[in-house]
Amino acid sequence: MSPAPHLLIEDLHTYFYSSERHAFIHSVDGVDLSVAKGETLGIVGESGSGKSITMLSVMGLIQANPGVLKGRVTLQSKGGSVDLIPQIEDYVELENKDQSIVSVKKDTVSWRKHIERTMKSIRGKEISMIFQNPKAALNPFTTVGKQIVEMVRLHNPSETEKSAREKAMYWLERVKIDDPVNRFDAFPGDLSGGMCQRAMVAMALASEPSLLIADEPTTGLDATIQASIVQLLQELKTDLGITMILISHDISVISALSDKVAVMYGGQVVEHGPARDILEVKDHVKNHPYTKALLSSIPDEKNVLPNGHLKSIEGEVPDTIDVPCGCRFVERCNAYDAGLKTKCVNARPRLVNITPDHRVRCWLYQE
Amino acid sequence: MLVRSHYVHVNDPQLTEAKGLLAKLRRYDRLDVIYLVYGLMVVSAVVLSYFLGAFNLLPFDPEEMDLEAMMAPVFSNGHILGTDFMGRDLLSRLILGIQAYFLPGLLAITIALTIGSTLGVLAGYYGRRWDTGVTYFNNLLDSFPRLVLILLVVAAFKPNIYYIMMVVGLTNVPNIAALIKNKILFLKQKNFIESAIALGIPAPAIIFRHILWYNCRAVLVIQATLGMGEAILMETSLSYLGFGVQEPTPSWGNMVQAGSNYLLQGDFWPSTAPALFILLTILGFYLLGDALNNILEGKKSI
Amino acid sequence: MGAPLLQIKNLEKRFSKRGLLSSFGNAETVAAVDDISLYVNENETLGLVGESGCGKTTTGKMILKLATASAGQIIYDDIDITRMPEKDFRPYRSSIQMIFQDLDAALNPKMKIRDILKEAIKIHQKELNEEQVEARAKRLLELVNLKQSKMNSRPSELSGGEKRRVGIARVLAVEPKFIVADEPTSALDVSIQAQVVNLMQDLQKELGLSYLFISHDLPLVEILSHRIAVMYLGRIVETGKAEQIAKSPKHPYTAMLWSSMNHQPQSADKKAAELMNLDVERPKTGCRFAPRCPVFHSNGRPSVCTDPDNEPKLPVSQNDDHVVACHFPLNR
Repeated sequence: MSPAPHLLIEDLHTYFYSSERHAFIHSVDGVDLSVAKGETLGIVGESGSGKSITMLSVMGLIQANPGVLKGRVTLQSKGGSVDLIPQIEDYVELENKDQSIVSVKKDTVSWRKHIERTMKSIRGKEISMIFQNPKAALNPFTTVGKQIVEMVRLHNPSETEKSAREKAMYWLERVKIDDPVNRFDAFPGDLSGGMCQRAMVAMALASEPSLLIADEPTTGLDATIQASIVQLLQELKTDLGITMILISHDISVISALSDKVAVMYGGQVVEHGPARDILEVKDHVKNHPYTKALLSSIPDEKNVLPNGHLKSIEGEVPDTIDVPCGCRFVERCNAYDAGLKTKCVNARPRLVNITPDHRVRCWLYQE
Repeated sequence: MLVRSHYVHVNDPQLTEAKGLLAKLRRYDRLDVIYLVYGLMVVSAVVLSYFLGAFNLLPFDPEEMDLEAMMAPVFSNGHILGTDFMGRDLLSRLILGIQAYFLPGLLAITIALTIGSTLGVLAGYYGRRWDTGVTYFNNLLDSFPRLVLILLVVAAFKPNIYYIMMVVGLTNVPNIAALIKNKILFLKQKNFIESAIALGIPAPAIIFRHILWYNCRAVLVIQATLGMGEAILMETSLSYLGFGVQEPTPSWGNMVQAGSNYLLQGDFWPSTAPALFILLTILGFYLLGDALNNILEGKKSI
Repeated sequence: MGAPLLQIKNLEKRFSKRGLLSSFGNAETVAAVDDISLYVNENETLGLVGESGCGKTTTGKMILKLATASAGQIIYDDIDITRMPEKDFRPYRSSIQMIFQDLDAALNPKMKIRDILKEAIKIHQKELNEEQVEARAKRLLELVNLKQSKMNSRPSELSGGEKRRVGIARVLAVEPKFIVADEPTSALDVSIQAQVVNLMQDLQKELGLSYLFISHDLPLVEILSHRIAVMYLGRIVETGKAEQIAKSPKHPYTAMLWSSMNHQPQSADKKAAELMNLDVERPKTGCRFAPRCPVFHSNGRPSVCTDPDNEPKLPVSQNDDHVVACHFPLNR
């Protein structure tokens, strides 16, 4: 048997509540994901597909209510396997009707205390996270160096001031900030966006986590800076052998870094498998129609139709409040035929294996 | 606010389609709705009472002394709220007392809103030198203790409540100017104003329709209710101190003051009744402002 | 073909460096847009590409007189509009329009879509009666492929793509001929981006529009534009037909932009990658790209590139020539 995955997410549900529409926002609706040790998993999806919320749920950083409702997240930590949302069923009462949740009663205050206790030994130490907009994520009133020293000490509280400083300097050099000696005492406001993102990466790595979650690490940066951040992550990945989960809407970033790819749509994973099978459209690979459509709407010469138009997916990105009772993508899909249509509209497809490590959620490929 | 431990969420999209006032109110936090209803009741009672007083439709002549019934208790001789130390009908005096702050309060609000939004628009929309000028003006007004300013006015002219309310209105100007300016800066940041200019919408239409009417009306209404509460507070405190409305014209402030002389004798009612009215009325205006803020500006709890 | 619809000659925008003493004496100024010239022909799309802070948005705003030009000329339809007073410029407001990057820019959150469109229609077509205005609003929604039922929606009820369509409809309401589109798709998802780009192309064909398409996304600009101008730190460094810029870039910066879009490992050229990563301030003298320029470094730092009196200038381009402002243009 193959070793247990580094992080395993099973049937995760995270809902929010729209007080305007008095309905649930099904942000994460039964997500199954796994990432093996040393591997990079890229999660692609459009806005509202639930990719960031999935990772925030894993980190216990969901603030809005009701939040995480059910599921199981297992991390293989340095000290063995840990459940990251333990005993969730003790805090939540769910009322189901027709396979969907209609009412939730959750003891959110106790749950938050409970999850904070659980995550205290995980955040920073086992899993680190870097965010989009690094300028906002760094504390503007403390120097970059001090913030990294803090992370070094989080990992090893017995570290002396001097050696923690040395380690912090090492990480600044490691992320290739030029002139690290001077940047050490700089405030985040004095650094450019690209520099800030490097500092963020240094901070995230300084506590020596085994898993790094990068949430849109290049979004909002200039193209040339993006390229250099991607390159940095690439180098760190090979040099440190760290497990990485990379969230992005930018498929070129995902394809440059990922070993495995998960495609999310409307709060669900619709396809999960090796990067080469998903990101290169080949005729013999049974891809999800959404993946194919998404790839062909990237502005690129080969996606231009004879009339000068780009290939596009009709319709709007779903808001995950009114979820269809069948497949989530059915309204925008053009792959099904008349025979399949009733099935696609009325029944939810499952995520099934096409090959041993490639899973797709589509009625085209299952009975 | 109460801290709720258990949150219950129910999927009920039908609620959104609900028509009618009551159904719509259900969408907001229950406390806000209670505040809103209470505040509206207070406001309508005040307005109604103002007109009762203005047309002299009072149960008794407020200045007629009934020496037979001094310090009469509640519900005696037809005096619903009793009488004061001179046998004057308390209810009539309380209703007439509204005259003391109603129009002056409106004056204060009008001054604050008009000058405040004008300065806010100048600073936010035209910016540059206007902004610098308005900021200096605001700082100047802010750094002046309000009470000292009022006492100066009282000393320079005479203790006329309209003068005092002008000062109250004027000292509120910086507050409103800053609110409007920040709102405009926020809209500017979103290219909202530039896009209107680019489309060729004339400046007055942008300022009055897009900025003030569509985007600041909620702020202005809220500030008006809060301003009225403040005006009442100012008037009553000054009348209590003897700088505001003078006897024998009744005002809630001077009624509390006059009644308080008899507190030690155990006759607490003639001063407590107007004090209660002050409390409940000001609370009404403030809670209304608060509720409107939450409802109109869409800040919902949960 | 006659004179271009829009011509920009030696346009400059300087900001004074803000400081306590800036109001005294000659304050130091920074050029956000530094002596740029370009033209847009009728029914043509000019793509303006560059990184954030290179001055491309400021250029767009100056054309709409949302920012005042410090020097130079903007000529629209053979008339110099650069210093025209707002009163005289008003008629031009209907023919020059801008699509803003912010999806919410055009949409007053308190107004219904119907009122937003009607307001825009009434500004420049005062003679229309209520029915005609309503009919025109319906036609506009049709033009941008939105359902008529959206008329009664408020902006908050729309998705990103729908907001963008309403924004375009509002701009079209005044019947413009020339549209500055400032990153119109950068706030949208990939699948929606393609829809909007296609819509813009259709509208160009149908209504004979000209676009100045401002974007940082080079592949997208290549597909949408007839010609491309590449901007770096306030200056246009290269301009030419779209396929020329894409297939055979002459300026090292253009080449760098292209390679960064692909995210392919550039292990072969470590030095180039390092330069890409460098974000430096504009050098005081010489070519502004020199510190990051791979050609400059591999050529042994030729002195001509740092010569203060010899900053490369973009030759005047006529007839859609491919021109470049570089001492050592690439030859591919």
